[in-house]
Amino acid sequence: MSDTAHATSHPSTKDYVRIAIFLAVLTAIEVALFYLNEAVGMEGWDAPLLIGLSTIKFVVVVGWFMHLRFEDSFLARFFGAGFVLAMALYGIVLAVFGAIVLFGGG
Amino acid sequence: MTTTASRPASTIFRRPRSTEGFWSWITTTDHKKIGIMYGYAAFFFFIIGGIEALLLRIQLAGPNGSFLNAGEYNAMFTTHGVTMIFLFVMPVSAAFFNYLLPLMIGARDVAFPRMNALSWWIFIFGGLFLYSVIFFGDPTPPAGIADSSGAIVAGNLDPTDATLLAGLPDGGWFLYQPNAGPAYSPGTAVDFALIGLQILGIASLISAINFIVTVFNMRAEGMRLLRMPVFVWMTLVVAFLLLFSLPIIAVALFMATFDRQFGTLFFQATGGGDPVLWQHMFWLFGHPEVYILILPAMGIVSEVLPTNSRKPLFGYAAIVFAGAAIAFLGFGVWAHHMFSSGIPAVAQAAFGLSTMTIAVPTGIKIFNWMGTMWGGRLRFNTAMMFSIGFVAMFVIGGLSGVTHSIVPSDWQQTDTYYIVAHFHYVLFGGAIFGLFSGIYYWFPKITGRMLNEKLGKVHFWVQFIGFNLTFAPMHWLGLQGMVRRTWRYAPETGLGPWNLAVTIGAFTIATGVAIFWFNWIYSKRKGEPSGLDPWDARTIEWTIPNPTPAYNFATPPVIHSLDDFWHQKYTEDEEGRPVRKDDADDLVARLDHDGRNPKSPIHMPAPSYFPILMALGLPLIGYGIIYHTTLVGLALLFIGPLITIGALIGWGIEPLEEPEEHQEHGEGGELVGAGAH
Amino acid sequence: MADTFEIEEGAEVPEHAEVHDSHHLVHESTGIDNRKLGMWVFLSSEFLFFGAFISNYLLYGGRDFDSVVPRDIYDIPFTSISSFVLLMSSLTMVLAHHALSTGDQNGTKTWLMATALLGSVFLGGQVFEFTEFIVEYDMTLTSNPAASAFYMLTGFHGTHVALGIVMLLSLFGIARREGGLSEKHGMNLELVGLYWHFVDIIWIVIFTLVYLIGAA
Repeated sequence: MSDTAHATSHPSTKDYVRIAIFLAVLTAIEVALFYLNEAVGMEGWDAPLLIGLSTIKFVVVVGWFMHLRFEDSFLARFFGAGFVLAMALYGIVLAVFGAIVLFGGG
Repeated sequence: MTTTASRPASTIFRRPRSTEGFWSWITTTDHKKIGIMYGYAAFFFFIIGGIEALLLRIQLAGPNGSFLNAGEYNAMFTTHGVTMIFLFVMPVSAAFFNYLLPLMIGARDVAFPRMNALSWWIFIFGGLFLYSVIFFGDPTPPAGIADSSGAIVAGNLDPTDATLLAGLPDGGWFLYQPNAGPAYSPGTAVDFALIGLQILGIASLISAINFIVTVFNMRAEGMRLLRMPVFVWMTLVVAFLLLFSLPIIAVALFMATFDRQFGTLFFQATGGGDPVLWQHMFWLFGHPEVYILILPAMGIVSEVLPTNSRKPLFGYAAIVFAGAAIAFLGFGVWAHHMFSSGIPAVAQAAFGLSTMTIAVPTGIKIFNWMGTMWGGRLRFNTAMMFSIGFVAMFVIGGLSGVTHSIVPSDWQQTDTYYIVAHFHYVLFGGAIFGLFSGIYYWFPKITGRMLNEKLGKVHFWVQFIGFNLTFAPMHWLGLQGMVRRTWRYAPETGLGPWNLAVTIGAFTIATGVAIFWFNWIYSKRKGEPSGLDPWDARTIEWTIPNPTPAYNFATPPVIHSLDDFWHQKYTEDEEGRPVRKDDADDLVARLDHDGRNPKSPIHMPAPSYFPILMALGLPLIGYGIIYHTTLVGLALLFIGPLITIGALIGWGIEPLEEPEEHQEHGEGGELVGAGAH
Repeated sequence: MADTFEIEEGAEVPEHAEVHDSHHLVHESTGIDNRKLGMWVFLSSEFLFFGAFISNYLLYGGRDFDSVVPRDIYDIPFTSISSFVLLMSSLTMVLAHHALSTGDQNGTKTWLMATALLGSVFLGGQVFEFTEFIVEYDMTLTSNPAASAFYMLTGFHGTHVALGIVMLLSLFGIARREGGLSEKHGMNLELVGLYWHFVDIIWIVIFTLVYLIGAA
């Protein structure tokens, strides 16, 4: 389609493979963290680290594989709106239930 | 994007070709026809919902009423609410969106014409599915209450109470769990409600996506976002509310359906589930939903008031911002429906405060509407009267709404008629008055004739008086302690006289609606021809002939300003007063002529069988889920998806428009720029 | 929030003032393809959909019940592998799209099929996991709310994957029948790709929140 061709700096096949390797490594680190926590205990540091790693994976897939980086920022705002709204609403619901503590770390 | 692939037309069916008659309506992808169908269907359900309300009022006219039994009463208030919200106000709004949105932004159709037809068919099948409970349902009376061990003890209802009416859904429109769960609402009535609402939600979600893309992508040249009529803005805001709130209720409905059908324990306290979770999920959707109901009416009023005040809308940008702000804040107030559910004190305070802030953007709108009328040369036609009625009644409903944000006061009011009074003032005095205003205003656009003004004014006054007679006394009935959803009250309560007044009011409203119906039927055939611009209007849907030609705009419009049509007709004198240009009448005559005589052939999206086929599969799946323990149910679970997926494949193969060589003769056309889905 | 940001947009969105001829409305005011915009809009609402299921699990998943709960019986190595498979299917998906954009129709077909296969492996893993939980640990859909929430969440995600596989195979079928994907179907490929990646990012969230953190 003509309107995808305007993005000049599209990644190449090699770039996509590199990104995938990066994602795989992050996943491996996540699993490793899980076992590290099982083995020695991380005093609650595992959750924020895991959330951080999965956020990076999330952003990379959305940005590169879904091409959002190369699209009109308009789409990103739509997409971001749904994500932020979901986080906010469900965060509040879980906080009201006492299932998570807002603003108090993972 | 151009869908120019010249592939052979669909080979599964012969492409439907009729432009008139029954099949043209079944296969249409024309946003105007779809809008008209939405409108008639909605008014059909309006009558059903109205009859249900009248039955309730007959029962409550005096103490210890015996017109309905308790089961029937429960069914009536539940179906009344569900019908009025999901099958009347939402589809009437959808009718306006469909008919007007493309006209107001200068487009030939919505972004996805066939998807638009799909929404409509899913909607109507969903509504009929919901009501088909009366044929297939199982009118088991409520089973009674759980004793301390959790076992259900027999209810105090006579088995003979299991009548046809009592077999309708009876859990309240909010279907609170576990009351509407398997233990306390046996039978299939609630399943029909849950799955029916699920189907209706799919229809609305598809519409929402369609309207959002339409508003952003299908605007005529020069139609910047801040030149769009307020009604278009409100359509966009409502579409966003639907987009983000429907998935929540979809999940909640899935969970409740699984609880009832497959034995999950999400909301069943006896199995460790949490009934309050249902309340959160329901009201996360339910509160945006009330803005989904009211914002279209606000958009209509924002068109009718300035036109009939012969002034521009006061504070256009403020009204647009306020509408968006109401929607945004509307996502953050859901728990004010749950102050008596035992949520933590901090949450109660926070939600009380957030609720109060809603009054700010709403107040901005009210003042802007008054500012619009201030100093204008007002024309008191029926549309204007309904709009003014809207503003006045909505203020009353809005103020009683603010009293609910005060938590201790809300505890007192919870589940009383005070609440019933409040939401009828905003939804009937507000939304429905606004929608009637829109019907009187745009009737000429649809039919080319005017609704009779004399009958219209009688309709307005009868409905206005009837409305206040019905719902004003509910305020004090509620404050005196009359509780909702209770089929009887004792004579000693002294609530009888005002209840009689309410019942008389309800029948007065019914009289008003009957007058409206007569007016509609009469004016559609015998009404005065409207000409092109009956209201001396501001927005571009009035720059094309009435009734709207199939192609909408003979020449794509180019927009130069907000209220473009007004600026074509009017200029200002040195004191800033509008002065009609000398050539304005010529302009109107020329527009009427040009609009009827396009210079070159115009191609529109071709009709299609696939939307209705695809929609047909969904209610079948619904029956399949409800009767999945039977052979027929299992068969339906197979046939339903087969029809839907089959239609989807046919849809994918069929091009939106007929290929070029057919265009010379047929109605097949291309709407390049419209999505092929 | 979604409803406030478009206002500024009025000033920013360039009015692609194309010249129209009188019988076409070739117009996408934002310059974004209708179908693509529609897909992104749809996906943003899917956050609310999956968010509800995930929160439902977060609410119930940590509670104790008399019967077996998911967090006690997760098979982390197994799920890690199936997560990896789904992640790699995103790579093959993007390669299919990339191949088409460079005109490599054979590559497109190959990668489409690879994506569908990886997706099927993921689904197969899920079926195996469910079977193991039900047969070996006797944790069924109706055991307790935590189990219900787990099956609903992963089940609805799996349904999305299955739907994606159907779409991938349809595209593959079209490409084979017609010797390649036309321009129209090129957009379809892009849309299916967006959907597929979205299903993948939802799994990224589920894998971390529900499995890794949920089991701790």
